[in-house]
Amino acid sequence: MNRRQFLSSAAAGMLATPAFLRAAGAQEGPFRVKYYPVAAGSGPHDVTPAPDGTIWFTGQRIGRLGRLEPRDGSFKLVDLGKGAAPHGVVIGPDGAPWVTEGGQNAIARVDPGDHQVRLFRLPEKNAYANLNTAVFDNSGIYWFTGNSGIYGRLDPKSGDMTVFRAPRGAGPYGITVTPKGDVWYASLSGNYIARIDPATGNASVVEPPTSNQGARRVWSDSNSRIWVSEWNSGNVSMHDPADGSWKAWKLPGESPRAYAVYVDDKDKVWLTDFSANAIVRFDPLTEKFNVFASDRPGANVRQMDGRPGEAWGGESGTDRLVVVQTVAPA
Amino acid sequence: MRCLAALLALPVLAAAPAAAEENSERLFAPCRACHSLDPEVRGLPGPNLAGLIGRAIGGDPAFDYSPVLRKAHNESLRWDATRLDAFLADPAAMFPGLWMSMRGIEDAAERQALVRFLAQPSSR
Repeated sequence: MNRRQFLSSAAAGMLATPAFLRAAGAQEGPFRVKYYPVAAGSGPHDVTPAPDGTIWFTGQRIGRLGRLEPRDGSFKLVDLGKGAAPHGVVIGPDGAPWVTEGGQNAIARVDPGDHQVRLFRLPEKNAYANLNTAVFDNSGIYWFTGNSGIYGRLDPKSGDMTVFRAPRGAGPYGITVTPKGDVWYASLSGNYIARIDPATGNASVVEPPTSNQGARRVWSDSNSRIWVSEWNSGNVSMHDPADGSWKAWKLPGESPRAYAVYVDDKDKVWLTDFSANAIVRFDPLTEKFNVFASDRPGANVRQMDGRPGEAWGGESGTDRLVVVQTVAPA
Repeated sequence: MRCLAALLALPVLAAAPAAAEENSERLFAPCRACHSLDPEVRGLPGPNLAGLIGRAIGGDPAFDYSPVLRKAHNESLRWDATRLDAFLADPAAMFPGLWMSMRGIEDAAERQALVRFLAQPSSR
């Protein structure tokens, strides 16, 4: 615990490919970092890999959902509607991207074939919900958060939607589902994480040990332990619901600001640190950090997701997607 | 997002100026997830916005601003109604690399109503 070690990121070597690629030396890896420019001014916010190898991303600033083809760097944009401001995107059991579309206060499903958009609007009494992030549970129910102080469920088959008021009001942000099937969310303003009972919709608050920590996002590992990115404290913390325990580690550097968290298929923990302008990888076994600083200032990666061997994010401040490829040592 | 937060990711619905004025309180509703206009409220994810107009940019001494706002502060830039209106239209265009994320408010009447709301000392 609190054993902090990290290796700084390495110099870049640019290649003339559709993406900018650089080898990150001096890492535990080796790792490779690649950048993919997308639409100027789009502010790519959240990303998620699709089954066909493409990467969906939300262009919050332009109200579009984007689809990157990493094999050639091309991308397409889907107009989500007037005033759209999409935040999160996840792949549903139907293979389609589902978007928390804050601008229209709706959940948006985009058909992966013809890109037709279907909106599931929140009730008028829940206007300005500040829709944030969502996840599908193991039974196919879509659970979402709204930063203005709500969370909710949507049955994609029937369209039935229920919205719940969150404990402590404003703050619900990141959300995750565990292999055991439990749904957890983080409250940034509320400074807690909570487990949602899927049967009743009730949320049970769990207090992290660091007060006023600013729990922003959460992600489950393969053992159903909940990893938390703490914005205010700059910690990554881990809660094990099986025994109620917590551990926390401060990210390296001066005044870290932990924004995103994602746990990969090897149970390695990926974070982003706005102070360091970097993606950070944490190995829970060695308690070591690797830091991958962006090659441009103000990258602001707000969320990460991935697939085996690849951790993806959106550089909202540079209008690029970034991937860190993990390569097994020779 | 260090936000004025996800906030003002408002539905940018077309609205008449009068309607926008009436809805100024509602326009600020999404902002409340991260900001307060009550000077006594601290510890939110975004800076306190009490007395914003006329204040130095990055001027909440209790708040840790993003580098681009720290730079604006060091350059002695201040908030006035015109600058705030332009900011709300596209925050990231005015301050690239801003930690707060939101889509700008396209509707000028809604933007101006929100500016007026933020400028009123009685707004809380």
